[in-house]
Amino acid sequence: MLRMTLAVFRKDMTLTLLRGNGLAQALLLGLLLVFVFSLSQGIGENLSPRNAAAVFWLSSAFCQVLIFNQLYALEEVNNSRLGLLLVPQPLQAVWLGKALAGFVLLLLAQCVFAPATIVFLGQSLSGHPGPAASILLLTDAGMCALGSLLGALAQSQTARESLLGVVLFPLLTPLLLAGTGVCAQALGGASGEADAWIGVAAAFDAIFLAAGLLLFSFLYTGDE
Amino acid sequence: MPKSFLPLVLPLLGGTALAGCQWLIYVYAPTEASMGLIQKIFYLHLPLAWWALVSFFLVFLGSVVYLFRRSPGADRLCAAAAETGVLLSGLALVTGMLWARKSWGVWWTWDPRLTTTLVMWFIYAGYLILRGLNMPPQRKSLVCAVLGVVAFLDVPLVFVSARIWRSIHPAVFGAQGGGLEPEMRLAAMACVIALGFFWAALIGLRKGQLDLRARMDTLWAGNGPSAAGRNRP
Repeated sequence: MLRMTLAVFRKDMTLTLLRGNGLAQALLLGLLLVFVFSLSQGIGENLSPRNAAAVFWLSSAFCQVLIFNQLYALEEVNNSRLGLLLVPQPLQAVWLGKALAGFVLLLLAQCVFAPATIVFLGQSLSGHPGPAASILLLTDAGMCALGSLLGALAQSQTARESLLGVVLFPLLTPLLLAGTGVCAQALGGASGEADAWIGVAAAFDAIFLAAGLLLFSFLYTGDE
Repeated sequence: MPKSFLPLVLPLLGGTALAGCQWLIYVYAPTEASMGLIQKIFYLHLPLAWWALVSFFLVFLGSVVYLFRRSPGADRLCAAAAETGVLLSGLALVTGMLWARKSWGVWWTWDPRLTTTLVMWFIYAGYLILRGLNMPPQRKSLVCAVLGVVAFLDVPLVFVSARIWRSIHPAVFGAQGGGLEPEMRLAAMACVIALGFFWAALIGLRKGQLDLRARMDTLWAGNGPSAAGRNRP
């Protein structure tokens, strides 16, 4: 299963980064969100660290929706989804491979969003970066586990972008709250309860990684 | 009791019990000293919130059954429970806002339980949108079943986040007897039970409607529009 997972991961990374628009659309949308929120600042004003962290995670969430739509749209061309279904390997390898690819792509996008948030929203890294790094990895893992599962939900749907967003965003709320709470501390916000939020994010990851493993094979089928 | 009596008995029982509860709320239970009459909303707010949660649990159970047995009846039960759950949680949010205005001086506060109730409402409203999409029926049932399972897995996180954040909800049924007078507790419990009958009636009614629609769709597909046209006088 691991070999198949890595094969799907390599295929998706290659197709996404070396062909077409790559990450450009997702990056542009995230940056636009940061820019639009920067317009709410008056002259000489800065957003609070908590608001800035929320904008960062909002950009990441929209970016994630586009990433998983793109990853699952790869197999819709020439109906190559049937090819993946016919491989004599556990189907969960497709879910895991796409989740891994989404995880790396999201981290790459966040490497752009983080400095943009600091520059455009007038923030500084004056808090402890350690917990923020932990929550970044945990939150991204949870977002990608769920994104990879529900990305398959929108297969063959013409309205897949809006559909995935409507379904995914409310489910991600606990994770986004955890990410916002801890990242705000790294930007100099009030400290406290970082450990508890890291626990919530870890629990979310555990629940939705297990759910993905169990449920993906029901969703990813040859149905049109 | 024969099954055919249930659709008649449950609404009657629920309606009568809810009417009886009005006496408990306005006559038997004392008026709360600081909030006054507006506190009576609590007797509606609490059962609405609880039965909304039970509805979502029913969606989860029905979804699991559908995934393993592919039973169309379980799928229709999920649809009925989700619609009822969204309705009840929406009403719980509205009654909560009315209470919050009097109790805390604001229409809305980002209290974790209120926030997560709103999040649950959003999740299941999205679920209903998915149900309304034009997709092949079996694919739609399957996708909705997966979402029904995933959505309910968020509920434990609701309670965890409520504990992490400082909640301003009162402890209603705590280990030490909670923050309610015995008369208020009795009235609240009676309202929960009464609304339970009403809830069961609503679910049964909606499930019956969906069963009928499925039957008509089957008959229509069997005869076909052209066959129906030929049979017309």
